[in-house]
Amino acid sequence: MISAFKINKWAGITLAVIGFSAQAAPAPQHIDVKQYKKVEDVVVPLPNEVFAALNKLGPVNWKEFVRTEKGVNFSERPRTALLLGNVIADGFIAVQAQDAPAVKEIGQRVLSLAKGIGVGASITPHAKAITEAADKRKWDSVRQELDRTQSSVQGAMNELQDQKLSQLVSLGGWLRGTQILTAVVSKHFTQEGAELLHQPDLLRYFGDRLNSMPEYSVPVVESIKRSLVEVRPLIDTGNRPISPDAVRKINEITTRLDGEIVTRQ
Amino acid sequence: MNPHRQVIFILVVMPLILGATAIASVDDAQSFALQAAEPYVREGFQVREDYWGGDLAAGEKKAVRQQLFKGNEYWFWLGTEVRRAKVSVHIYDKEGKLIEQPDSWQKGSYAAAHVVPTSTDSYFIIVAIEESPEERTHWALVYGFR
Repeated sequence: MISAFKINKWAGITLAVIGFSAQAAPAPQHIDVKQYKKVEDVVVPLPNEVFAALNKLGPVNWKEFVRTEKGVNFSERPRTALLLGNVIADGFIAVQAQDAPAVKEIGQRVLSLAKGIGVGASITPHAKAITEAADKRKWDSVRQELDRTQSSVQGAMNELQDQKLSQLVSLGGWLRGTQILTAVVSKHFTQEGAELLHQPDLLRYFGDRLNSMPEYSVPVVESIKRSLVEVRPLIDTGNRPISPDAVRKINEITTRLDGEIVTRQ
Repeated sequence: MNPHRQVIFILVVMPLILGATAIASVDDAQSFALQAAEPYVREGFQVREDYWGGDLAAGEKKAVRQQLFKGNEYWFWLGTEVRRAKVSVHIYDKEGKLIEQPDSWQKGSYAAAHVVPTSTDSYFIIVAIEESPEERTHWALVYGFR
């Protein structure tokens, strides 16, 4: 979300002058997308993006997915990175459930994990802001701080030239988000819900990233690599809809991976 | 300045100044993109903290590929701090078909594209510096959804 300190006053004045009535200049109706250089392979969505889409399909009992177990800390950095992404996703779930005590515990857990991986300093103000906003039940602010937390963690990792760890944070969050998405859709199957799993490029992106980090070849990373290969045909169905069986199977796989991420094996 | 100090200035201080200027410019571009987003926040759009940016020459384009979810509504805002530059942002599906809404807009150093995806898939956000008085123009792209 927008931070006041980021807003350039000149930008404000300029926008006030031009207003928002401008129309789009004509753009080509068709392009060859392959000819463009890409900034990012694929932008990884935050878990709350898919949760927002899921909420529109019907009521979800988010409380049943809230999790606040303290869990273990790992000495291996890739494991901690995956767990960090996973716990931040838990924070978004707790926000959906409007569970203030859970949000506060998760904020502290994120801080502890971030400290363990050497990026705690960038998280401390966010953890404090999460607690304050949760106390006031300002859910939009909590959501915003969770987003900032993930962004700061990844920014700090990138500054330390640990881009691969940063990618593991995204992967941990995506796996937990997918686990919840498939749990919700399995309970009350709809074609619209299953379609939210149609993310083949993202899956390919994660697979490529994992293959490019042989130095992080810990068992859980190897397990995720194999599992992504299993998941791919289930969601990359072309024009055919994703079946209830496929949704159930992906839930089993992501639940198994979640267990490997959060517990010491 | 004596020659010794000149050498120190050129080797140490100048790169720091230039580096700081480059960082500040991308951050400024982000400020402009966020400024364009501000009215939409009041309409309930959650603007993501991350942003994508860089610099491009006039006439150059770049693509950001992004997973979008059917059911959500998205706005992408592009900004640059170069006031006389003209930027654009447009959204295409995987087949290269323009899919943005007609209320997408472009005005000088700001542009915005609005999309309501009809399917959950990855899409291409094409950013361009259409015109600029600068050789390279910083740009930043932010997005929000509801």
